[in-house]
Amino acid sequence: MSDLARGNIPIKSENDIVAARRVVRDLATQLCFGVTDVTRVITAASELARNVFLYVGAGVMWWSILDQCGEVGLELTFEDHGAGIPDVEQAMTPGYSTSRGLGLGLPGVKRLMDEMEIHTEVGKGTTVRVRKWLRK
Amino acid sequence: MTNQNISLVKVRNTLLVTMPADPDDVTVTTLQEEVLGAMEEYRPKGLVLDISAVETLDSFFARTITETSRMVTMMGGQTVIAGMRPSVAITATQLGLTMVGTFTALTVDRALDLLTHPHPRRRIR
Repeated sequence: MSDLARGNIPIKSENDIVAARRVVRDLATQLCFGVTDVTRVITAASELARNVFLYVGAGVMWWSILDQCGEVGLELTFEDHGAGIPDVEQAMTPGYSTSRGLGLGLPGVKRLMDEMEIHTEVGKGTTVRVRKWLRK
Repeated sequence: MTNQNISLVKVRNTLLVTMPADPDDVTVTTLQEEVLGAMEEYRPKGLVLDISAVETLDSFFARTITETSRMVTMMGGQTVIAGMRPSVAITATQLGLTMVGTFTALTVDRALDLLTHPHPRRRIR
């Protein structure tokens, strides 16, 4: 798997959530994702960026355009150095929330994307990686 | 940030509020205050929230809309959410947004009909 292009955007304020959405919109549109998939990917990015801002206050969204044997995809990685998620299984349960959110963040995001991985270490931080592949 | 104006217009007995395509959190929060203020000022019977331009409806935005609708009900008005795009409806449902208690209409025109002749009701349960 090779990266065709990559970059990052810091998430330090509420405005950065909008900025992240715009970057993702441009990338998904350039890759010729359908209108519904563009909306899915932007919405997923918005939820994950808000998680970073809400739970930790600061983090980074890394993006890369993937090429896996001719299959093109968009990968987004949200990285923070916060407290980590003590119970990932619980965080993936629909309806569970520790913030003033709706408690549908992570399970909802998983449904919008093709792939999702969470790496978290208590006291060190969390990395959430999501991917969406271009349907031909 | 680019200017993201919420348009608020009173049309006869209805307050028509139009949301921008990609509102930031501040704009979304402003929506609640401005709408409730306008309810008091203009005393309309109902509120139509036109989201036909909205391209991204995340959980924060959806929660604000649901809350605002509930607040308007408490003040004695009725809210109809109008014009949700197909891609937004698909995404919102898969994300798990329910928007319980809100009335919806395909277009602003239909929303106005719903407020004038409130039957049959289309409330999401």
